[in-house]
Order: sequence, then structure tokens, then C-alpha cells
Amino acid sequence: MAERQIKVTTEVGLHARPAAVFVQTAAESEDEVGLTKDGRRVNAKSILAVLGLDVRNGDEISVDSFDETIVDRLTALVSQAPEGGS
Amino acid sequence: MTSVVAPVAGKVVGLTGVPDPVFAEGMVGPGSAIDPVRGPGVAVAPISGVIQKLHPHAYVIVDDLGRGVLVHLGIDTVKLNGEGFQLLAEEGAHVDAGAEIVRWDAAAIEAGGRSPICPVIALDADRERVTVTADGEVGTADPLFTWE
Repeated sequence: MAERQIKVTTEVGLHARPAAVFVQTAAESEDEVGLTKDGRRVNAKSILAVLGLDVRNGDEISVDSFDETIVDRLTALVSQAPEGGS
Repeated sequence: MTSVVAPVAGKVVGLTGVPDPVFAEGMVGPGSAIDPVRGPGVAVAPISGVIQKLHPHAYVIVDDLGRGVLVHLGIDTVKLNGEGFQLLAEEGAHVDAGAEIVRWDAAAIEAGGRSPICPVIALDADRERVTVTADGEVGTADPLFTWE
């Protein structure tokens, strides 16, 4: 089981567009994928659940799965450098 | 079956009419989109249910079956940080389809250089279960699509 704590650095967090990309990526894994914020863990393959967590820039979240590759890929999605930032 | 109504008045352009590939390709989910009437207006609830998330530029209503419908008021409007939007409802409230949720101005969004097109998305829905019934011009709260 891989679980990674991540600080969200993408500009708008997981709002509609980035949330859709996040969920589609999670759905590519055959294993269960969880997303946790403030102690609330949801199915990372559900767009309704991910939008409901309201993940914003600066939030501390964690991603977990037996599929370590997917954990790496999802981590990369939410920790890209903010637009225009360095 | 869930009947989803138009949250705003305007022209039904379908998801392919959304100038954003993530919506246009159905990645957020199946549904439709409306090119809204320009000018001040009020966006309403597309279904009856609980307001699960309420942002100035977007909201999600979840019905008794646990089905969520997302309304996104314009494209890239998250970056407006709420400017130009007035909330008329509260997160967690139960509302009927057609209830007023956000006051906004599609013309002002467009004047700011953004598309005011409103995607209306059935979240986590199977594509085959969503049937768009509206075509051409719709009024606020007119039937838009059904979700079996």
C-alpha cells in the first residue's frame, strides 16, 4: 500500500477541469484509489466525490492505493508548479 | 429517472460547443451545455436535491438517489474568485429544481474575455444513460436532459 501526503500547489486545486483529469487518471488503475482531505477519504475515481472534497491550492491531501504508479501520477497532477510561479 | 432542467436560459450547444476540451470530450461527464442569454440573470438548480458544493462560478446538486449534477457558469471562471457572482442559496440546503442559486451576468463574463457557456454535467454517469432532450433555445428550468 502506497500512501503519499501532498501539498496541493496547482493554481485552482481540484476544480472541474483538473478534477476530471485527476479522476480519469485514477480510473486507469485496476486497484482502489483513495483521496483524503481533513480526515475524509473518498473514492478518487468518482468525480462527484472528488469535487465534494473541494481541494484547493495549499491544501494538504493524501492519495493511497496498492498501485504505486498511480499514486506517483496523481501526485504529479496536483503538485505541478503554479502558473507563472517558480 | 432524473430529469435535469436548464439552469439558465439560452441556446443548447451541447458539450461539443464548450470551448474547453475537458468538457467538450466528456471527461467531466456526459450532459449538455447552454450558451446563455447575455445580460444579468439567475442560474437555478438543475435538479431537486441538496446543494453539495456551492462556489460562485459552479455548483453541484445531489438528489435523493445520490446522483450529482454540476453546473459551471462560464469557462475558466474559477479565476474570477467570485467577482460578479452573488450567491442566492447556501451549501447544504435542500432545493427544488428551478430554485435560484446564483445571480450573475453572462455579458460581463464575456466582456472580461471569458466564454459564458454553461456546461451541465451528470457526474459519474454512464454516457448511455444520459439523453439530451432539448434543442435550440431553452428557457430557465425547461427540460434539458434525462438521466436513466
